[in-house]
Amino acid sequence: MEIRRIAVLGAGRLGRGIAENAASKGYDVVLFSQGAGGQDALRRIENSLDRKLARWAITEAEKRVILGRITFTLDLKELSKVDLLVEATIDHIYTKQELLRTADQLCQPDVVFITTSSTLKLSDLARSITRSESLVGLHLIPPVPEVSVAELVRCHKTADSAVEVVKNFAKRLGKEVIEINESVGLVNPRALLALINEAAYMLDEGVGDAESIERIIKESWGMVQGPLEMADRFGLDLVLNWMEQMHQTYGDRFAPCPLLYRYVRQKRLGVKTNLGFFSYNTEGKQEE
Amino acid sequence: MRIFVLNCGSSSVKYKLYDMDNEQVLAEGRVERVGQENATITHQAKGKEKISKTMPILEHTVAISETLNLLVHPEHGVIDDLSAIDAVGHRVVHGGESFSESVLVKSDTKEILDSLAELAPLHNPANVMGIRAAEKLMPQTPQVAVFDTAFHSTIPAHAYLYAIPYSLYQKHKVRRYGFHGTSHLYVSHKAAEMIGRDIKELRIVSCHLGNGASITAVLGGKPVDTSMGFTPLEGLMMGTRSGDIDPGAIFYLMKTYDLNLHEIDSLLNKHSGLYGIAGVSDMRDIEKGIAEGERLAQVAFDMYEYRIRKYIGAYIAAMGGIDALVFTAGIGENTPSLRTKLCQNLSYLGIELDEELNQKRGEPLEISTQGSKVKVFVIPTDEELVIARDTAAVVGKK
Repeated sequence: MEIRRIAVLGAGRLGRGIAENAASKGYDVVLFSQGAGGQDALRRIENSLDRKLARWAITEAEKRVILGRITFTLDLKELSKVDLLVEATIDHIYTKQELLRTADQLCQPDVVFITTSSTLKLSDLARSITRSESLVGLHLIPPVPEVSVAELVRCHKTADSAVEVVKNFAKRLGKEVIEINESVGLVNPRALLALINEAAYMLDEGVGDAESIERIIKESWGMVQGPLEMADRFGLDLVLNWMEQMHQTYGDRFAPCPLLYRYVRQKRLGVKTNLGFFSYNTEGKQEE
Repeated sequence: MRIFVLNCGSSSVKYKLYDMDNEQVLAEGRVERVGQENATITHQAKGKEKISKTMPILEHTVAISETLNLLVHPEHGVIDDLSAIDAVGHRVVHGGESFSESVLVKSDTKEILDSLAELAPLHNPANVMGIRAAEKLMPQTPQVAVFDTAFHSTIPAHAYLYAIPYSLYQKHKVRRYGFHGTSHLYVSHKAAEMIGRDIKELRIVSCHLGNGASITAVLGGKPVDTSMGFTPLEGLMMGTRSGDIDPGAIFYLMKTYDLNLHEIDSLLNKHSGLYGIAGVSDMRDIEKGIAEGERLAQVAFDMYEYRIRKYIGAYIAAMGGIDALVFTAGIGENTPSLRTKLCQNLSYLGIELDEELNQKRGEPLEISTQGSKVKVFVIPTDEELVIARDTAAVVGKK
């Protein structure tokens, strides 16, 4: 089956990034979200494209074409018309299983499912649907349009044909696909969460201020963003959720830093509340 | 002999069917928006009504299949059966150093072309897709690849090498290749024919000025230099491409704006040229802007003319003189004001333009006066005819 129209479930930062990336590579995208702020997704994708336009990465015409390929809907019945499904919702096992079960009933039987989950086990998600052989884990890393690598996992039930479909999809998105074995946290999130947690500990212990810690890590490893800014952009509530999943699996190595709990309790969640480790303006730009 | 010429772009297919006995076009057309539900096919057979239709065409094989159906259509077609086509000629943009002339497509040809995709990412993959699709639909018919870069293969090393470590040329073949080869070949030979002299005796500067633009110095029928380089970004100012720029300025911009490779590539290829200066990329809009007194439209026009003039001067030096100056492609054929200004600024060479002839368009014309020391021509290009001729020659040799 030729993949032309894809569904993206979830319109958070990851879902929007996937939608933008896929539309820029010629796919028609139906973006679904029933969460808060979902309706705002198209405007935020447009903002993202405007930032690219301002940096000469795309033209006005390209921006119009990309936006024209994305539609937003709350109506899950639209799932019956898609050729591929990408699930990009928050890593909560019951919510995800429920959503995949619904999609399983609505999508055509030959549609391959992708889950972007990194801290839940693929086998646990596969158990919730009848097409368990068609579920593939593909961890696309935000900012999705810019990151050129993706982690792929399969569980013991996954069919080779489904993996092939997903590899071709990822390749067309411009990603180098690296297949790894199923494990909680995969490679990128596991390493990154350890780094974020340690940076938070250093801040909490007064080793340095956020700016200094961030700058040393960022500059010495040539990172575009340091761990604290990355955490702010993910959302500290989301980071804490991932950390708790990792803590359950790996024990004390991933015990979340108390500072993360404090910030989340104070609703200091990062870019989305304009304050996390750093301050941000309404456009998400870091303030001096 | 009947030759079917295919020019496949990423979302388009252009085609012409030639009767090579008299080089007449029997049918021609194009498919636009390949890959979409609302693709359009426009087709015209000789002596018949032009038709167009909209339909879903999701891949090149379907697009080519539809055009072949039209060629044998009882009402709109011109042949009874596809076996009446003796060979298919394909335009391929980049032949790298592997192909210095047109070749019969064999099993390894496509693999080599696939490996060249990195050198022309916008064009070569679509060209190879066209070859594969045509092979599938006409498995018994010879397929010939004709390269835009092939005409430039005679350019000497001192002109095609860049002054960077030689090992980079050896390892990665980073060098000047040049583009629009079939167009430069066609118009330079046509100019020689119009002059009535053997091209081997002539020094011709050929200006292909379209949305992409390049100039070639053709000495004795063979190019000795051309303005486009490793990619079509080098050389003249173009519609949206910068052309020549100090690489130091690129490093500076990348550092200042923290630009990644994609961003700087897009800046130079899509946001620069006429568009970068005046905000419009079409020369007709530039002329309109000038008429309305827009300063930057005038600046863009002056830059465009000046850069062409500099290259003409350089190529006169490269060839030790000039006998003919040829203009072709969209801007070259349809912008008399540009030709006027260029020729006025080159009057020290003894160039004199016949302004009345300069205003005409649509056919090959000599637009210089009888007394002009350098002959100036406007020649509508015909790349498909060159592809058809080369295809016939390659198949004839088989």
